[in-house]
Amino acid sequence: MPPKQTKGEYIETDTGNKVSRKSVILGSQNIILGGKTIIQADCTIRGDLRRTVAPGQQSGNVAIAVGRYCFLSRSSVLRPPGKIARGIYSYYPMKIGDHVFVGEGSVVEAALIGSYVHISKDCVIGKFTIIKDCVRIEEGTVIAPNSVIPSFSVVSGRPGVVVAELPETAVEGLERA
Amino acid sequence: MVFPTIHISCPCADSISITPKPAKKKSRSHKAAEEEESEEEERFDPRSARSNFSLFPLESLLYCEDCNQIRCPRCVHDEIVCYFCPSCLFEVPSSAIKSDGNRCTRNCFSCPICFASLVVASTRDDQSGPYVLLCPHCHWSSSEIGIEFEKPTSITTQLAQKLKTVSTPSVTPAPSAPSDSYFPTISITPTISLPPNDAPRAPPTTAEMYQRLKVHYASQRASTGTDEFGSSNALSRLIGLYSSTSLTVGGPKPRSFSGGSGISKPLIGRDRKSEWSEMDHTLEIQNEDTTIAQLRKQGFAGTTSTAQRLNQGVPGPLFTQDVRPLAVLLRTKRSKRCRACRHILVKPESKVTTTRFRIKLVAMNYIPSLSISRLDPGSVSYNSLTPLTTHQFLLTVTNPLFDAINVTLATPQRTPGRFGTTVTILCPDFEVGANSDIWDEALGTGDAATGGKNTRKGKKTGNTGTVWDAGRNWTTVVIEIVPPLLPSEYTTDEAGGKDSPTEDDYLVQVPVSVRVEYETDVEREDGLGKEVKERREHTYWSVLGLGRIGKFGAPTTPLAVGTGGPVDVLGALGPSGVGLGRSSTYNVAKVGSSPPIVAGMVGMGVAGGLGKRNLK
Repeated sequence: MPPKQTKGEYIETDTGNKVSRKSVILGSQNIILGGKTIIQADCTIRGDLRRTVAPGQQSGNVAIAVGRYCFLSRSSVLRPPGKIARGIYSYYPMKIGDHVFVGEGSVVEAALIGSYVHISKDCVIGKFTIIKDCVRIEEGTVIAPNSVIPSFSVVSGRPGVVVAELPETAVEGLERA
Repeated sequence: MVFPTIHISCPCADSISITPKPAKKKSRSHKAAEEEESEEEERFDPRSARSNFSLFPLESLLYCEDCNQIRCPRCVHDEIVCYFCPSCLFEVPSSAIKSDGNRCTRNCFSCPICFASLVVASTRDDQSGPYVLLCPHCHWSSSEIGIEFEKPTSITTQLAQKLKTVSTPSVTPAPSAPSDSYFPTISITPTISLPPNDAPRAPPTTAEMYQRLKVHYASQRASTGTDEFGSSNALSRLIGLYSSTSLTVGGPKPRSFSGGSGISKPLIGRDRKSEWSEMDHTLEIQNEDTTIAQLRKQGFAGTTSTAQRLNQGVPGPLFTQDVRPLAVLLRTKRSKRCRACRHILVKPESKVTTTRFRIKLVAMNYIPSLSISRLDPGSVSYNSLTPLTTHQFLLTVTNPLFDAINVTLATPQRTPGRFGTTVTILCPDFEVGANSDIWDEALGTGDAATGGKNTRKGKKTGNTGTVWDAGRNWTTVVIEIVPPLLPSEYTTDEAGGKDSPTEDDYLVQVPVSVRVEYETDVEREDGLGKEVKERREHTYWSVLGLGRIGKFGAPTTPLAVGTGGPVDVLGALGPSGVGLGRSSTYNVAKVGSSPPIVAGMVGMGVAGGLGKRNLK
């Protein structure tokens, strides 16, 4: 990452989100960014993948909700998880809390990510994963679908298993990261 | 290893003051300070064998306000607040922990092959039964071991029933020969040779040893009867304590896994008597022929790894067809107490899903934090510091307290170890502003304005005795190191010789004593009286891991200059010469580019310059 971005590479929204012009954002009407969130180049956010509903039926139109102070590094992918329910393949909304860092090249298909979560680079967060607050996911981790990661965990490996606990100061540490 | 690293030493190893309660706080702290002063004379050696266990990153340290001491994970007591399942996040009452074998009794299972959490999946397209436990990661299915469920709920009870009735293709009773139990991989290595029949008996398994011990104690108890020491009571209580847990030896879920698997079978019994006899009986059976036959049939792909086996209990199954889905182990939330004064340092909220703490006394909020960066970023990587060259680092001290602090840094001139690195802190004594409100500074009011005197503002000159830069609650000083030339760099063949440096010798670890002094308002417990200022001080050792010594990149430079020579010159000449050497602007601070004034430094400068170029 160069220290100084070329001018105008980022679009800044009213709430202070910075979205790279080189990122791929689909279905932006279904994406909520909390504010002060940075989306780097080559990120893909699939807001177009939302719940399939019968025509005429109203559904919540949020596919991806991202909190404040999040950072999506280069080439990361946010994709709402999908599965077959009652014979129809449908996508489910993805919710991401505040102070979440997603490292380079990571693919996130989680259902819920809490606040203060650090996802290192080259990780795969499987479908419908629930990651609670204060979690660090080490580089190259592959978290199996439908996993639940409790708070104050360090997750590593393929498949990702909890390998350590974070200290009580995890919030402070992950806030800065 | 990622450099730079900063660790703080907890002195608990030296002064395990597990006294009931310090008699007088103030006098004790004074005394402690004096002791510490005397201790400071003897330097902290980051390479000593004990240091490994006393060094922690600041984040994992706690702070006891009563003892005015850092508390590391070693000198706190953990107390379990609640148990919960990490998979379903339900709290488990502590009364159920023991009977459930510390595992979740809901539908939480982990894969016996890859340890991911299993999901209940239907085997039909229409989502109807039968159901299996399926691993979403490695696609292991409980149908592989012949277990399917009629309904997708209450898997635990269903599984328990299944395991009672299921007939696995080959139930190998006590599948491991005794010698395999500890290092079970031995038995599946291709070069295994069967021990001859008259071979000495292999060491007993854990379960066997437990049984022997139990028999021993039982006989002892019988012989002593009720003696005056009351030991028989204690013994029987102990045995009672363990005999219930001994059930768990055989399998992860003894209560529900009874009978089905050959492993847990011997240990299961409604009454202890039958458990005993079965135990003794099954351990005698060591049918290696069936094991070998099965190994021939299944190949190595059908065998379990050490991790898989250990996860299944002791002794684990040898073949993947004998593994069982594992109920998820529970996790705990714990509060922490100071060992010396029993005060609570950390107390989390008892609700499982919250991350808040009722009490959280962490060292981050009490002692200044250190951070390290290179003064000339990008020129040399931390992993290859050029020997005999001056490397400059910026050491930033950040004050978390609401009072301005005086910081005194002390470091040995040469780091401990066989190949010492010369260290110079250009400004060892400085002030760090209070951690006041950011707005105070912005608005020009409050303590911060007075604290941020112009003299303290950074001039980035790097002259001796002045700080490099300072802000609201942080101050940066320059620290210089000259790594030694390791003998392996100039001796070609002497591998394994006494002088050849070990891996540790390549690391530059600088012990720095940080002494903090400040005046603070005393919190009066009665809430009355005038404000009293109390002078406090705190000293701790930290170890800066500044990098790894790299190759000496310039063979043309005079190698005759020993490690000691230029180092001493530099040390004696001191930072004035260095300061002059760095009078050029810092972002082009290549040592070789400035006019060196010492002969010794010429060589070093050239060496440094060349080294850098070579590295590029």
